[in-house]
This record gives sequence, C-alpha cells and structure tokens, in this order.
Amino acid sequence: MTTTMSIAKREFRSYFDSPVAYVVICLGLAALGLVFFNYGGGFWQVDRASLRQMFVQLPRGLSWLVIPVVTMRLLAEEKRSGTLEMLITLPVKDHEVILGKFLGAWGLIVVLIGATAIYPVAMFGWPWDLGVLDFGPVVSGYVGLVLYSGAAVSVGLFISSLTDHQMIAFFITFLVLFMLHFLGNSITLSVLPEKAEFVLSFISFDTRLDSFNRGMINSRDVVYFMTITIGCLFGSFWALERRKWL
Amino acid sequence: MIEAKGLSKRFGATRALDKISFEVRQGEVVGFLGPNGAGKSTAMRILTCFISASEGSARVHGHDVFDDPLAVRQRVGYLPQRAPLYGDMSVLDYLKFVADVRQLDKSTFKKSMKEVVEVCGLAGVLGKDIRTLSHGYRQRVGLGQALIHDPPILILDEPTSDLDPNEKAEVLRYIRQVGEKRTVVLSTHNLNEVEEACARAIIISKGRVVADGNIEDVRARGGRVRYNLMVDEQEGLTNGAPALAEVAEALAVLEGISSVKETPTDERAHAFTMLGTKSTDLRAEIYRLCVDKGWLMLELRRDVQKLEDVFKQLTRGDERSDRGRDLLAGDDELEDDEDFDDEDLDDEDLDDEEADQDDADEADDADEDDADEDDADEDDADGADADKADADKKEEE
Ligand SMILES: Nc1ncnc2c1ncn2[C@@H]1O[C@H](COP(=O)(O)OP(=O)(O)O)[C@@H](O)[C@H]1O
Ligand SMILES: [Mg+2]
Repeated sequence: MTTTMSIAKREFRSYFDSPVAYVVICLGLAALGLVFFNYGGGFWQVDRASLRQMFVQLPRGLSWLVIPVVTMRLLAEEKRSGTLEMLITLPVKDHEVILGKFLGAWGLIVVLIGATAIYPVAMFGWPWDLGVLDFGPVVSGYVGLVLYSGAAVSVGLFISSLTDHQMIAFFITFLVLFMLHFLGNSITLSVLPEKAEFVLSFISFDTRLDSFNRGMINSRDVVYFMTITIGCLFGSFWALERRKWL
Repeated sequence: MIEAKGLSKRFGATRALDKISFEVRQGEVVGFLGPNGAGKSTAMRILTCFISASEGSARVHGHDVFDDPLAVRQRVGYLPQRAPLYGDMSVLDYLKFVADVRQLDKSTFKKSMKEVVEVCGLAGVLGKDIRTLSHGYRQRVGLGQALIHDPPILILDEPTSDLDPNEKAEVLRYIRQVGEKRTVVLSTHNLNEVEEACARAIIISKGRVVADGNIEDVRARGGRVRYNLMVDEQEGLTNGAPALAEVAEALAVLEGISSVKETPTDERAHAFTMLGTKSTDLRAEIYRLCVDKGWLMLELRRDVQKLEDVFKQLTRGDERSDRGRDLLAGDDELEDDEDFDDEDLDDEDLDDEEADQDDADEADDADEDDADEDDADEDDADGADADKADADKKEEE
C-alpha cells in the first residue's frame, strides 16, 4: 500500500510540476462561473435549478477536456519514454503501478471537483445568501460526481495503457467518454428502436448521473460506476502484464 | 549470484535470445558484449523481471525471476538503456521517490544519499530538473538511483553509450569503484570498455553466448597470430629479384603457417599476410627463410589478435546470415577456401588491403540494405544491421 501511495503521490505532484493542474483548475472554475452568469436570469437570479446545471455541465466539461488530458500520459507516455521500465523494475507489483497511477490522476480530479464547492457555498452560504438550499441533491450530486470521475479516469487509464502515443490516447478517451455521455441523450434515443434505447440509457453516464442530481443515490448507479472503474483497472493491469509475454 | 539457464525469448518471429546460459559469481564485474540487437537488453530485462522469458529460468541472488520478482528487484540496482528518468522531477526529488518506493527509512536514505552523491558526483545538480541535465549527468543520476539502496547486484545496460570520451572514462571509473564490493553486469558494444572495467566478458551474438570467460581467455579463443611480411620485388640479397609465386610457395610450406595471402601495396614489394598459431613465434623461421633464399626483407611484423578481432570473428558469421548473405556466402566461402584455407581470418580483417574483394562486398551490402528496408518494420534489428552495414561500408572505404 505504501508503494501504491508513493506512486500516486508522485503522479499527483507531477501535475503541479507542469502547468497542467493550474490551467485545468483555473479554466474549469472560470468556465463554471460563466455557466452561472449566463444561465437563466444571470447570477443574481440563481436558484436551485442553476445549481443543477452545474452538476449536468461539470461532468461533460471533465469528460471532454480535463480527463483525457490528465489520463493520456499516465501509461502511454511512460511506455514511450521508457520510464516505465525504470518504474517497474523497482520492487513494485504491477497492480500497485496501476492503482497508484489511478489514484494520482483521480486525486487531481477530485480536488478539482472539490474546488467547485465554492460556488454553492458562495451562493447559499457566505457571502451571498440567495435562498435556502436543499442540501440533499447537492450532496448526492457530489457523490455522483466523485463516482463518475473514478469511472472516467479509469477509462482514460485503460486507453492510455493500450498505446504508446499520448495523443492517440487523448482522442480515443475523448471519443469514448463523449459517447458514454450522449448515448442516453433524448436526441440519440428518438431515432433508435425501443430495445436499443433501453440498453443505451442503461450505459449512459448522463442518465446515471441524472438520478444523483435529483437527490437519489441508487445502489444500481453506484454499482454501475464502480463496475466500470474496476473493470477498466483490471483491463489496464492486463495491458501492463502483457508486455511480459509479447 | 546470477544464474541463467537456457533462457529463450521470442518476439513474434524474432528470436531475441536463444537458450543462453551463464553464471555470474559474487563480486565479479562482467561485461555483456555484443553488437546491437544481439539480445543484451532482452537478457537484462528478463533478469530484472521486466519481461518474462519464453523458455528457461534464471535465479538472481537465489530468487527465481519468475516466481519471486519482488525479491529479485529488491536486491538489484538496474539502469536501463539510455537512462529513462522522469524529466520533470529534480534530481533530489527523483532519488527521494526511488527511495520511497524502495521503502528506505529516513536515516538509511540520508546515509546512502551522501554516499551516492559523492560516488556519482551529483552534488552540483541535486536541485536541477532532470530534463535540463546533459546526457552524462543523466547517466550518473541513473547510476545513483541504482545504488540508493546499496544493492549487492548492479545491472547496467549500456551505461556508457552516447557519452563523450571524458564522461565515458568517468562513468567507467564509478563502475570500477562501485564494483569493488558488488556484483556488476554491464552491457556494451564497446570492447575497450570491457577491457577497462571488467575482468570477464560474455560475448553474445544473435541471442547466443559465443564466448564466456575472463578477458585473456576470450582473447585466446582467437588463438591466432598474424604475420605481415614485405619482400623487395626488384632486388634480392644475393640472387636477384624473387617472383611472387616463388615467395608465396616457400612461405606456405613453413611449419605452423596456416595460410598465406598476398596483399596489395604501394611499394615495389611483395607483401603477404600469414596466419599462424599463437603458441609458436615464427618470426625467426621467416627471417631465416628470407636469408636462405636471398630475399631482401623490408618488413616483418607479428600481431597478436586483438579482442576486437575475436569479437568480429565470433559475431560476424551470424551477422552475415542475418543480412541475408547465406546464399552468397556459400560460393564466397568456397572461393575463399581455395586460395585461403582458413576462412576464419575473414575478409573484413584484411579488407582495407583487398580492393577487388571490397567491390564484391560492397555490392552485397547494397543489395541487402534494400532487403533490410523492406522488412525494417517487422524487425528492429534489421534497421540496426543496415546501420551496421553502412558503418562497415565506410570502414571499407
Ligand atoms: N519489445 C520488442 N518487440 C519486438 N522485438 C524486440 C523487442 N525488444 C527487442 N526486440 C528484438 O530483440 C532483439 C534483441 O534486442 P536487444 O535485446 O534490445 O538487443 P541489444 O540490447 O543487444 O542491442 C532485436 O532483434 C530486437 O529487434
Ligand atoms: Mg540494448
């Protein structure tokens, strides 16, 4: 476990050694601010509905830009530059490498998600008191975000483990996450037969997140995100082990 | 300490290692020697449990590399080829990270850090980002991280490649220093380095061990000496100018001479290269022969085979077939045999003196370069060989 944490710590810190983390966090918060100011009647008209917009837009922003950028290099870049050989020939187990990398990247995303809490706090607590906030959906929304981000990061990690090129990892991760969001979208669904509709909304991130945003924590949704996370971690582990036998 | 038994490794159709076996005893400094693509890195990666062998087994410090990789890695300090380090970390952070993963406690880390900084000369760069360092310093940092846990075994993959001569000498000095109380395996394709830093050499070529022993033994494997003789072609000592064939014939029947070959020369002289066994010195015989026949000797030289010659001799045949020379080589060798009954002293050894042979050779090379390009995608080694072929060509010119 200590080995895993050493790797995770290094990974997490390395985002702050480069501009990646700062750019991501600043841009993320600024973009979110824009959403608030322009949605509905503007900032002073803000209400519970606009906070819900945050929980809808935030995962999309994360999936389309932040997570692909954060995960693309995790293994692809290490394989290309050969540092993976250095890392793996330290006394580490392969699953510790995968888990450490996952935790490092997920940690950054969770910090970013945590940072967005300044919006609800600022709006409904201090310094502005725009009304009474129903805390239930906010808390469940954050639970959903954290679970979703674990799944999305593990998808990115898995894709990064399959290639040596971080740009390829970026595009494929972007595409896959994009699809996962919009599969359950009403526009997609309206043109498809009913059976497909059922399946697609079953695997769509957006449909799954929706119930969290409405204040419900369904065990089925939790299991869904955790299944994706664990499955992709196993996939990455398998991809890493594969180097031995190739 | 290190014991490899019948290790084989296949990458698809490429056979990177072909049942190699060797043993390294405690305290030895062993040079893994071989041309590019011979399988040195592959062997080291198996020993450090980065990849698995297709067949065979290996034990490091008593632990099986397959069953107990963690125990092996704990006892090994490994520097991969080209020292891949995290460029965005500072040297100190990097060493800290390695110590962290190796779970050294604070006081041990402090102590070994002091030693590593001193031995590897890192004091001036501790705060610098690794990506800003010169290659020589990167190599030193790589060596430093391999030493941080004071391992009994060091495995270094081409620690001196891409370094300038000064850096090279320095890194070799570090290696000698740390090798005083450790078992060290280092790979290289440079013979001088092995002679300088190692007591023992394992020469591998095309995934097989072709020689293994201390440097002297390996050198003796060549077991031949070369004599260069020049006799005036216009004037004799007593009987007037000798004919070429006459001299050649007389030399060929000397006891202990295994082959005589005429070599071109700018001077007005007959020049010959002869091969003899190492155990006897034939210079006196040759001199006596010249005096008896009344030839005017201009030059006589005896060369003990250099390690380089042995290396070429041991690894060349494989390369030849590797470059697709099999078919051509068949006729070639027959011809060689006729006028030159020992093909071991191959044309590359003599080629600077052999104009016509060169042309043929070069034509071969050119053909094979084309072939190489075709399958370069499938096999990295071919690329390397093409380079090698180019280098050979340059040498020949
Ligand atoms: N990951 C790999 N995939 C395919 N072929 C490989 C791989 N690694 C090495 N090889 C091949 O194995 C052979 C030996 O390579 P290597 O051990 O790197 O040689 P050396 O280190 O002696 O130069 C070469 O022909 C090389 O192309
Ligand atoms: Mg190599």
